Amino acid sequence: MNYPIWQLGFPGGLLIATVAVLHVFVSHFAVGGGAYLVLTERKAYRNNDRELLNYARAHAKFFALLTLVFGAVTGVGIWFSIGLVSPDATSTLIHTFVWGWAMEWVFFFVEITAALVYAYQWDRLDRASHQAVGWIYFVAAWASLAIINGIVTFMLTPGRWLETRNFWDGFFNPTYFPSLAIRTAMAVALAGMFGLVSTLQLRGGIRERVARWSGAWVVVGIVFLPLFGLWYYRAFPGFARRYLAGGISAAGTAVNLAIAAAALALVVTALAALWKPRALNGAVVALVLLSGLATLGSGEYLRELVRKPWVIGGYLYANGIRADALKQISATGVSADSRWLAAKPAADSLAYGREIFVLECSACHSVGGYRALRARVRGWDEHFAYQALPHLQLMRGTMPPFAGNETDRAALAKYLASLNPATVSISPANQVAAGREVFEIHCAACHTVRGAFRPLNLAAMKAGAIDRLLKILPALNPNMPPFTGSEAERRALARFLETGQPTS
Amino acid sequence: MQHLPIASPDPIPLPGPVWLLRTLLLLTFFLHLVAMDLALGGSLLAVFYRLRRKSEFARQTARDLAAKLPVMMAYTITLGVAALLFVQVLYGNFLYASSILIGIPWASVIVLLILAYYGFYYAAMHDEAGAGVRVVGALAALLLLAIAFIYVNNMTLMLTPGRWIALYRRHVSGWNLNLGERALIPRYLHMLTAAIALCGLFVVLSGIRQRTTQFGQWLIRQGAAWFAGATVVNYGFGLWLLLSLPARIRALVLGANGVATVLFGAALFLSLAAVVHALMLRAGRRPVANASVCVATALAAVALMVVIRDYVRNGYLPPGYQFGQLRVVSQTSIIVLFFVLFAAGLATVYYMLSKVAAARPAGDPASARQQKA
Ligand code: HEC
Ligand code: HEC
Ligand code: HEM
Repeated sequence: MNYPIWQLGFPGGLLIATVAVLHVFVSHFAVGGGAYLVLTERKAYRNNDRELLNYARAHAKFFALLTLVFGAVTGVGIWFSIGLVSPDATSTLIHTFVWGWAMEWVFFFVEITAALVYAYQWDRLDRASHQAVGWIYFVAAWASLAIINGIVTFMLTPGRWLETRNFWDGFFNPTYFPSLAIRTAMAVALAGMFGLVSTLQLRGGIRERVARWSGAWVVVGIVFLPLFGLWYYRAFPGFARRYLAGGISAAGTAVNLAIAAAALALVVTALAALWKPRALNGAVVALVLLSGLATLGSGEYLRELVRKPWVIGGYLYANGIRADALKQISATGVSADSRWLAAKPAADSLAYGREIFVLECSACHSVGGYRALRARVRGWDEHFAYQALPHLQLMRGTMPPFAGNETDRAALAKYLASLNPATVSISPANQVAAGREVFEIHCAACHTVRGAFRPLNLAAMKAGAIDRLLKILPALNPNMPPFTGSEAERRALARFLETGQPTS
Repeated sequence: MQHLPIASPDPIPLPGPVWLLRTLLLLTFFLHLVAMDLALGGSLLAVFYRLRRKSEFARQTARDLAAKLPVMMAYTITLGVAALLFVQVLYGNFLYASSILIGIPWASVIVLLILAYYGFYYAAMHDEAGAGVRVVGALAALLLLAIAFIYVNNMTLMLTPGRWIALYRRHVSGWNLNLGERALIPRYLHMLTAAIALCGLFVVLSGIRQRTTQFGQWLIRQGAAWFAGATVVNYGFGLWLLLSLPARIRALVLGANGVATVLFGAALFLSLAAVVHALMLRAGRRPVANASVCVATALAAVALMVVIRDYVRNGYLPPGYQFGQLRVVSQTSIIVLFFVLFAAGLATVYYMLSKVAAARPAGDPASARQQKA
């Protein structure tokens, strides 16, 4: 509420995710590739292998061109985009970790200098100094990864920092080490994958030698991933593990994609680089690279997803509202603390309701596009929306609680109801189908029938008894809104629940 | 302050004393500015010299500049990152808002930067004689001009919260620039002209290293002319900038604030001294001594200008948002750790550069090529 909201028509998180995945892909290569280059160089000197040395030299130029430009600038791009999309979170991170970032910057500075020297002064330096510069590069690059990892994992699991506000408590948080292990393994794998790219320039025996050598890096990196992944998973907070265990279906999909992509990269590399390097061609390398990108991409996506509703676990919600400000906002209303509203606060103002949507929901929902709110409130009338809003955090998504006073709540309810002007009509001809429809509108945000998410199974009861229950839902559980539909709708719903037909 | 839409200070206290954070901001910004001047000025001079195709010296100068531009870009960015870090911690509640208001141009900086940077690599790696290099080099220079313009927009917008709401109402998507700002154009031209001037000094220095050759002499004269000419023009742009500042803020450097006024006078004096030495250089007198004085005074003038810019910026801050009101809880042990690492980092960089310097029997590539020619 402190800052204006950058209204792009889609959640800005998508922009961050795009920039971040590209950056992470190249920057992990930038870490692993450093070690790969020096070790390749050393191997070439040991075996007196001129061809291998020439390969390393050419690969170093490719490496510099990709990591110094694209890698470094997309890193700046993440900064720019988090500042634009989540200024409150960025401010929190900067205030907590400015010295951590300053240290990271020292390593970054060393890294850039070392990369320039390593790639472009190869012929001027003697062997020992050149390799020393390569090692300096690698150590600095890995150290900057180790620092940024502390800040990124802090957002998911701030750990004891929440009580102590101590730098080190936030930095060495519960997911710090497993995440660092995964990133390091990924860096090794990516070094090999990009090594395979440069292999395509080579002809004859050297091509096979380099393919085997690079393939080994890919395999070594990937085989450690399952172990580290499990370690990481076990350090997740409970709510995040529940998402993975079926709380949100996208999480399951992302896990499966990450595993499948890593396995694909492993198998293809083992076959086409280690076993039959002659089979290696552009298409195969592209497949390996894409699998690597998919592994990393779904990993990053998962980390962001399971962190919801938070940007900084337990401290700041994804919509920029601090957990400790909720009470205050409910008392005074959103408008008291928001500097950017155009509409005057009024319970019956659609314009004001839309502003509340922008402030509290647009961080994750668009209206009609990505994670469209219109589709998710289909059939909601104003009354139901009003009753449902205080329970957002219980719905299937991973949402922060609604923040606001009565006026805010009523205005947002009005806005949500306006998204689907025509309410769904209930045809009395088919009671059960109509009842299913009512269930979708009134209950499915929080329940399934005999499914994975907060399952209901009322098949043992008669419709009449269910109908009586429906009249007293909040008494069954105070976390539940009352049923707000018509009497006909309520009876249809009872009939549907009596059948015990499953929903998903 | 209720009427200004400025975010309240972050509830997390500043993790270090304000003076330290400010010093680091000014230091890293100064370094960023110098690197940026060389990159921006260098890209423009390269375009200029590429157009003078008849002169072998001009072509050689364009080649030498092109070869250095990727490195200058690398340091512009690296040092800019540090400045961004400190400016965010000190001025975040201004900068985040202004960045969002010009969100689209601001985010596009990243794309422009990548394109320009690859453009410079392309120009460095390809033959100067080709038309491709001329076109790509010119486009990349244009991109840098655009980036600098966007920066000046943001740096001025962050200081004028009174203008924010209107911009936000106009385009919530961030399709804005700060074109209503009176100081925008003079400030931009002032920065740009300074970039050309400083790059002129860079040309002087590369001439000094080969001053016994005709080419070296030529470089010294050319560079000195760029520096002196651009700086004289910049007195005009500077005056324009001064006049376009709000009277209250202009007064700061014209007597209202003693320190700022003295620094401003000193900066003018130093820049004048630099121009005089540049003219002596151009006349061919005592190149090493004059070049040293010229570079030293010019850099000192830039450094003072950076400090004055800071006074001006803080002059804009509304009364409720002065630094004295921020809560500070220093992370002392971590600050110490940072400085230890910083020293180690500098030593490491020194080690690497000394290895490169020691392994340079044939002189730098420019003079090597020169000898062949
Ligand atoms: C932190 C991100 C986040 C914020 C903020 C957020 N939501 Fe959601 N919301 C989600 C996710 C994730 C889902 C479920 C994913 C899906 O359905 O694709 C969801 C689902 C929903 C659903 C459908 C629930 C169901 O399963 O039927 C509704 C309704 C909804 N959101 C309303 C809102 C409203 C109203 C706001 C603002 C007050 C809001 N959300 C803010 C993330 C968010
Ligand atoms: C905003 C979320 C929400 C909505 C909407 C909702 N419920 Fe619930 N319901 C809950 C919660 C929370 C519980 C407590 C049980 C739990 O936590 O698993 C619950 C419990 C129940 C129970 C008691 C089950 C038990 O074993 O305790 C019934 C029956 C029930 N809901 C029916 C419905 C029906 C029918 C609808 C649609 C008209 C509905 N609920 C809509 C959140 C919701
Ligand atoms: C080659 C590309 C770049 C150019 C041409 C450029 C140009 C400029 C200019 C002209 C200014 C001064 C604006 C003013 O005071 O009105 C400036 C300030 C600044 N630049 Fe850059 N810049 C570039 C890249 C970067 C990058 C990549 C970063 C950081 C990631 C950066 C960070 C900064 C910061 C933080 C400031 C302001 C510092 C302060 O106000 O104290 N710059 N830049």
